[in-house]
Amino acid sequence: MEASREIYWNVGHSAATLVPMYLLAIGAMGVLVYGFLQRMKVYRQGKELVRWDEMGKRLGTAIKNTILQDKVIRVRWPGLAHGIFFWGFGLLFIGTLLIMAQADFLDLLFGVKFLKGTFYKLFSLTLDIAGLAAIVMMGSLLVRRFIFRPQGLETTRDDVIMHGLLFVILVTGFVIEGARMAVTELGTPLSYWSPVGLVFAKAMSGLGEEGLRNLHKVTWWFHLFMAIGFICSIPFTKFRHIFTTSANMFFADRGPRGKLTTMDMEDEDAESFGAAALSDLSWKDIFDADACTRCKRCQDRCPAWNTDKPLSPMKVINQLGEIAFASPDAELIETVGKDVLWSCTTCFACQDICPAGIEHVGKIVEMRRNMVLMEGEFPGDEVMAAMEATEVNGNPLGIGYASRGDWAEKLELKTLAEDPEVDILYFVGCYASFDKRNIAVATSFIQLCRAAGVRVGILGKQEKCCGEPMRKMGNEYLYQTMATENIETMNGYGVKKVVTSCPHCYNTLSKDYRDLGFEAEVVSYVNFLEELVASGRLKIESRDLSCTYHDSCYLGRHNGIYQAPRNLIKAAGGRIVEMEKSFDQSFCCSAGGGRILAEEKLGSRINIKRVEMASATEAPTLVSNCPFCLTMFEDGIKGAELEEKLVPRDIAEILAERIVE
Amino acid sequence: MNLLVCIKQVPDMESKFKIDAAGTWYDNADLAWRMNEYDEYAVEQAVQLKEKTGADLTVLCIGSDRVKETMKKALAMGCDRGVHVADDASSRKDSFSIASIIAEFAKSKSFDVIFTGMQSQDRGSGQVGVLVAEMLDIPSITTIVDFAFDGGKIAAKRELEGGVKASVGCTTPALVTCQLGLNTPRYPTLPNIMKAKKKELLSVPVADLCKVEAVSETSTLYFPEKKGGGLILEGDVGELADKLIKILKEKTAVLA
Amino acid sequence: MKIILVAEQRDGKVLGSAYELMAFAQALGGESAMFLVGDESVLPKFSGKLYLADVKSAGEFNPDGHKKLLLEVIAREQPDMVVFSHSSYGWDLAPRIAFSMNAAQVSEVVEVVDGALVVPVCNGKLRRQVAAKSAKTVVTLQAGAFSLADEPTGSPTVEKIEAADEGRVSFAGYEQAETGGVDLTKAQVIVSAGRGIGKPENVAMIENLAKALKGEYGASRPVVDSEWVEHNRQVGTTGQTVSPKLYVACGISGAIQHLAGMKKSEFVVAINTDKDAPIGEVADVLVVADLKQFVPMLTEKLQAL
Repeated sequence: MEASREIYWNVGHSAATLVPMYLLAIGAMGVLVYGFLQRMKVYRQGKELVRWDEMGKRLGTAIKNTILQDKVIRVRWPGLAHGIFFWGFGLLFIGTLLIMAQADFLDLLFGVKFLKGTFYKLFSLTLDIAGLAAIVMMGSLLVRRFIFRPQGLETTRDDVIMHGLLFVILVTGFVIEGARMAVTELGTPLSYWSPVGLVFAKAMSGLGEEGLRNLHKVTWWFHLFMAIGFICSIPFTKFRHIFTTSANMFFADRGPRGKLTTMDMEDEDAESFGAAALSDLSWKDIFDADACTRCKRCQDRCPAWNTDKPLSPMKVINQLGEIAFASPDAELIETVGKDVLWSCTTCFACQDICPAGIEHVGKIVEMRRNMVLMEGEFPGDEVMAAMEATEVNGNPLGIGYASRGDWAEKLELKTLAEDPEVDILYFVGCYASFDKRNIAVATSFIQLCRAAGVRVGILGKQEKCCGEPMRKMGNEYLYQTMATENIETMNGYGVKKVVTSCPHCYNTLSKDYRDLGFEAEVVSYVNFLEELVASGRLKIESRDLSCTYHDSCYLGRHNGIYQAPRNLIKAAGGRIVEMEKSFDQSFCCSAGGGRILAEEKLGSRINIKRVEMASATEAPTLVSNCPFCLTMFEDGIKGAELEEKLVPRDIAEILAERIVE
Repeated sequence: MNLLVCIKQVPDMESKFKIDAAGTWYDNADLAWRMNEYDEYAVEQAVQLKEKTGADLTVLCIGSDRVKETMKKALAMGCDRGVHVADDASSRKDSFSIASIIAEFAKSKSFDVIFTGMQSQDRGSGQVGVLVAEMLDIPSITTIVDFAFDGGKIAAKRELEGGVKASVGCTTPALVTCQLGLNTPRYPTLPNIMKAKKKELLSVPVADLCKVEAVSETSTLYFPEKKGGGLILEGDVGELADKLIKILKEKTAVLA
Repeated sequence: MKIILVAEQRDGKVLGSAYELMAFAQALGGESAMFLVGDESVLPKFSGKLYLADVKSAGEFNPDGHKKLLLEVIAREQPDMVVFSHSSYGWDLAPRIAFSMNAAQVSEVVEVVDGALVVPVCNGKLRRQVAAKSAKTVVTLQAGAFSLADEPTGSPTVEKIEAADEGRVSFAGYEQAETGGVDLTKAQVIVSAGRGIGKPENVAMIENLAKALKGEYGASRPVVDSEWVEHNRQVGTTGQTVSPKLYVACGISGAIQHLAGMKKSEFVVAINTDKDAPIGEVADVLVVADLKQFVPMLTEKLQAL
């Protein structure tokens, strides 16, 4: 006799079973669809945004992300617990569909059966293991949430429903199997192919056939009702993430990474700028709130949250959702809170780790745009002063623009105005032009270029701030003013290739400037130098250096540049002792998001926290690749009283000391 | 009600100054320009008064075409209209002739309150405001750090030395000169920047308004010799202290 | 040359600027008479003619009234020059007098060079010599720019002048400075503490030096970050921007954010063990010494003056 089982055993395959079952199923589908249609009305309160171009690629990404659970598993535990649970439950779902397909269609209408023989044995074994895995994982998630209670993890009514419902469905599934096996399979070799069911069957074997059949029937219908209940609850509980989160993989921003929308300054009809009300956000912004499962991975990594500032990226997203669904006329900025919005350093840790593809940073900047452009508000007078200084002198430090190129006098470096025949334009940036500590980095870079025989020029007093800190603070108008001037100047010289040692300038010129007509190649100095070293044009001697390395947010998470700087450090003889939070988990220095312009008034100092992390590696040198980081580390090391133990240096300085003539 | 605020475009004080060819003023090359800082407070106060009373607010500025950029900022802060007195040689005029240009413009217009900065950051003589008031024969209050207006009466606080303030008052028409810290000048919002582009900005040739000669002139402009010239002192602590005290007595008024 | 010196009193005290006016008159070699709206019981030490109007009737602050009184004296004396202190009283009254006299006004004179009046321009970065084209001149003097070589002596010959009428500007009283909050932006002398002070206990020596110089104490950012000094004393781009007559930077290396906040100081003294510290670029005097020894020594000597 071929291995198989009677589908609908004991329950009966008649209309008395099928009709209510399918009616309920159709009803549940209806509720599901209706629930989501209601939610779509709320999403539609937001502005238009096209996120269905390149449909094939989007679909591929969504399917891959969902099935492989790759973003979820990035955080091993509890990511893997969810992943295994998901696969387990997924297999059970497929298994149920296969059973329905055979029992209610292929067998019923065409007499075709495939759940038999070896296939059936493997089928049952797989589902048993899947079910067990799902229960164990669900159990562990339950323990984590309700017993270990990780800090910052909120548990709501939804969570109780979800854990309870799923647990009940899974366990009753095995009760049903066990009851059936207790009557039909105990003592047979087939039973070993359903090991978990066998355990349940053995445990129930004392009930007698009538008892077992009753138990089986009742539990079968109960399990059906639970499953129907589960489907109906999807739009109304956090279960909706099954659809919304996977859909968010489809609707994801396909890049360039972290790029903000470029406002149209010519639009004379525009009456409002930035986001003050729900209707100023896009539908995707509202949809993001629905995709959020409150896993708090963003919050865990937020440098502001971790230094007692009121910003939690998760809370911002949740609040936007609450507004959208409950009080759509609410004032966004008042509700979220100005201190919350100004605390963000745009480090991207939230958006990078989010397994639901939520875009936190753009929303914060949109609200900042409203505060700055519509109200003329800033986090402090010092920021307004920096904006005005930039308007007058093209740099937030308020130093006379005419002396921007003075740092290069000693090097006899020519500006493009003096000699436009260069291999690369070195876009220096404000800090490397005016701040003594960072001038040393610019000087080092020039020395390296010359040692490699690269003809390099600068714009000197014609260079203006790239506009990045202003843009991130929300002052889109001032950013575009600076950007257009820079682009006009660079295009005027026919610049083909720009290299910059500031990751903020790099990110802005290579991404943001494209919307304003800048097409030249833009390279980060670490990539540029790595190439020179690798090709042998630049010879660096290896001299021992024990150090730790800080991945800046703007080379790291924003641009994926992790390996090149490490290769350079190794070529220079550096032995890197990595900090716990390195690579994409690097902890911000605090100066991004335009916050280099602002005082840090709330909570504790982010830069001190980071230098303490560096100091914990016991390495005597902290190597970085960004003028903001270098400035923050100089300040932070003094503030943390670590001057004897830690010295901050830039990669360019380390390499320049090792030039082989 | 009609209001007037007089502003000046000055070089940013962080600029590297050079003496011009004539040796009597600074050269315009390599300078960044901005609104005189004191005038920012004047514009802000004028706009606040305009918002409170619904008055019409005119901003006046004397200088070359270059000053229009600065006037646009005043318009973006809230002034209704601008009057640009076109004068490429404004830097060669003195406080007296500048004041007379303004008085000539204002005399027929019955402004209720005229706001000015208490001095300019470049010339810094602090005379124009009071001179305009004297020419128009209206009361004036200088160095205000507080301003209130109610039914034709001004109540202001003057900032005196040592952080002391004096409460003073007068009735309109009147002129006030504004000190730093009077208020917090607003950052122009984008809609206002865009509206400013469309506001009326008339250019009047200076010859139409300047009927007098300057009564003083700059004979020579130069860099003062650097006090101490970046002196480096090393040695015994006691001797160093004595040396430093001597230098402070000679080079500063601090130990007088 | 006949000169009228306009002295000031406030709240019953004659201000010391009267002697600066006298020193200026000496430098020009002119014959001077003094004008004061004050009280006959409190007179400056001056051995010349003093035209005195009674402040109780003329008004503590009354530009119209004081102007009328002074013009009366000017009508009598027919001076070539009227000199004020460039003070909140002087810069308010001087232009009124200048206009009435059809005289050019030269504001904030800092020195006299071969008889020519020199004034600062552009925040003190430049100087100019001003030539008046009018027959008479009104001058205001920068506070502290002129001082008498010797102790002032003598008592003036007082000529009383009758009080004037009510002016158009009314005066309602003084408001003293708040003692709580510190406003470094208005301080004339600031002594700042940098990381070089080593530990919070050493803030006291900085404070003492500031007191000895009759000024305020401030700090650079790292010191405020470490919470050794309150935030409202931070000097720098994200703190206060200051422009005192004297700035003493103790153990401050001179990071750009700090420099940007104090560069406008008229005279900068830096105390640092590092000869090459960036603060040296804006310092008029760099004292290469350990501040923990130098500062107490300097304070002691200043107190003994």
